[in-house]
Amino acid sequence: MKYESQGIAKMYFIAAIGLFVGQILFGVTLALQYVIGDFMFPAIPFNVARMVHTNLLIVWLLFGFMGAAYYLIPEESERELYAPWLAKIMFWIFLAAGALTILGYLLVPYATLAEMTMNSLLPTMGREFLEQPTITKIGIVIVVLAFLFNIGMTVLTGKKTVISLVLLTGLVGLAVFFLFSFYVPDNLILDKYFWWFVVHLWVEGVWELIMASLLAYVLIKVTGVDREVIEKWLYIIIAMALISGLIGTGHHFFWIGTPDYWQWLGSIFSALEPIPFFMMTLFAFNVVNKRRRNHPNKAAVLWALGTAVMAFLGAGVWGFLHTLAPVNYYTHGTQITAAHGHMAFYGAYVMVVLTMISYAMPIMRGKVAANERAQVLEMWSFWLMTIAMVFITLFLTGAGVLQVYLQRYSENPLPFMVVQEKVEIFYWLREAAGLVFLVGLILYCYSFFAKGKDVGKIVELDNAVTG
Amino acid sequence: MIDNEKKLQIKTASNAALASILNLTLLPVLGFIVLLVIYNKTKPDKIDRYHVVLGIKINLIAAAALFFVSALMIFLGGFDSAWTWVYVISYFTIVHTMFIVLAVWALVRSWSGDKLRDQKKK
Repeated sequence: MKYESQGIAKMYFIAAIGLFVGQILFGVTLALQYVIGDFMFPAIPFNVARMVHTNLLIVWLLFGFMGAAYYLIPEESERELYAPWLAKIMFWIFLAAGALTILGYLLVPYATLAEMTMNSLLPTMGREFLEQPTITKIGIVIVVLAFLFNIGMTVLTGKKTVISLVLLTGLVGLAVFFLFSFYVPDNLILDKYFWWFVVHLWVEGVWELIMASLLAYVLIKVTGVDREVIEKWLYIIIAMALISGLIGTGHHFFWIGTPDYWQWLGSIFSALEPIPFFMMTLFAFNVVNKRRRNHPNKAAVLWALGTAVMAFLGAGVWGFLHTLAPVNYYTHGTQITAAHGHMAFYGAYVMVVLTMISYAMPIMRGKVAANERAQVLEMWSFWLMTIAMVFITLFLTGAGVLQVYLQRYSENPLPFMVVQEKVEIFYWLREAAGLVFLVGLILYCYSFFAKGKDVGKIVELDNAVTG
Repeated sequence: MIDNEKKLQIKTASNAALASILNLTLLPVLGFIVLLVIYNKTKPDKIDRYHVVLGIKINLIAAAALFFVSALMIFLGGFDSAWTWVYVISYFTIVHTMFIVLAVWALVRSWSGDKLRDQKKK
């Protein structure tokens, strides 16, 4: 570790992993509630479990992004973090706010939580993924502003690289678009319209910048490929991400009451959205193929390549599958969307955070890479979680196709709940795959404590291309 | 130093790998015709010939795996059965993607003038 303040990332990563475990525990509970409706009822009703599952995902990814930024920025900027103390304080505030919010979801009815947190003063609660009480949202804004100040000052007073500037742009975008969560128009169409400004422009806009910069950073470190080569790729990828992703928001506007032209705009631009993910796959394979060093952290290389492939698969392919308006007319809001959501979030954002943790955590613990046994366990966890996610996606896709056919396409469409019973087999299979995912995650956590033989050092290669 | 002939071969190999991806994605059939045209410009035992042949093989296997198997599923399962489409759509999407990722890997290897798999160093 070049700079002492990079070590702050460790607490963020540990919190991220802890919340990730919580998210998956609620995920397998929730999956079971699809088939056993009163499982854990009334202690944890379905709507609460779902809210906790999705909110924990968002919060732990934010912890992961912040940890990654605190690790990466000092090294890129060639200076200590501007205010390490601020990063530590904000960590505890964010963790406390997150924990209190989750406890609020679990311990009191949602309406009571709204009353307790005085939602009526500035109503922002009640919208999917943005269910947090207004006071929590204000807390998130304060934490993110302090974080941006810290990261921004470090970048501006230090060396500026393409990676740090792209990351900073992505993080600023993340903060700016979150502000739309405070705008809740009475008109339901406008409400949905601006809600997507947060949800879509995060995951299919600015988060892609964060993802690309983190991936580029790790790939530079583990492959030794010239920064200039990687930066050129980064420019093209982020340009394509923004060109396609910004107007691609239109694929959410097809059926909410907006003008018809969104069906054309949304279809055309979101059909381009797989391109940056396709390029990321090309980019990752290319730099690993042309590597100039053999890094002993094989697990980090595996996570990096896995990120590129799974992001392409989940965000690119499964997104394209139902993005064209004539197809989306039948598929919107079905289990096909859930299939896409699961694999896209896992492939693009979960995996990139785990890539970063895999690379940085051993260094923060005083080693260039985790010991051999720990890496073997980590790679096992990679395959278990990734294959489980592929199956979760396939089962949900199967459920979705059947749902579309029976509920929306056949000559005698069946009611929603009747169809839910008919696709039950897929939900059972998804639960099984979810449990395998959980096993993979437990193995991942255990790998941090596994003892074994130390790995070798970084080996610089003579020639640029070795295959 | 890579001589001009080798550079030319790498360029042709890259074009072949690109045509292979295009045939699998945006330009089906046209991409395959381009592959056949490139094949005629290459000589045996060279890297460009290797990548053209690889591209042709990938695309022929992909065509069989995607269209033949999907058609078989529809034939056996029946066009009007919901379950047929569950299998066909899930199968087609994942298998198609696997071929695209394989073609991407071939493209990356062609840029370096390498075969798909590592060659043992002499």
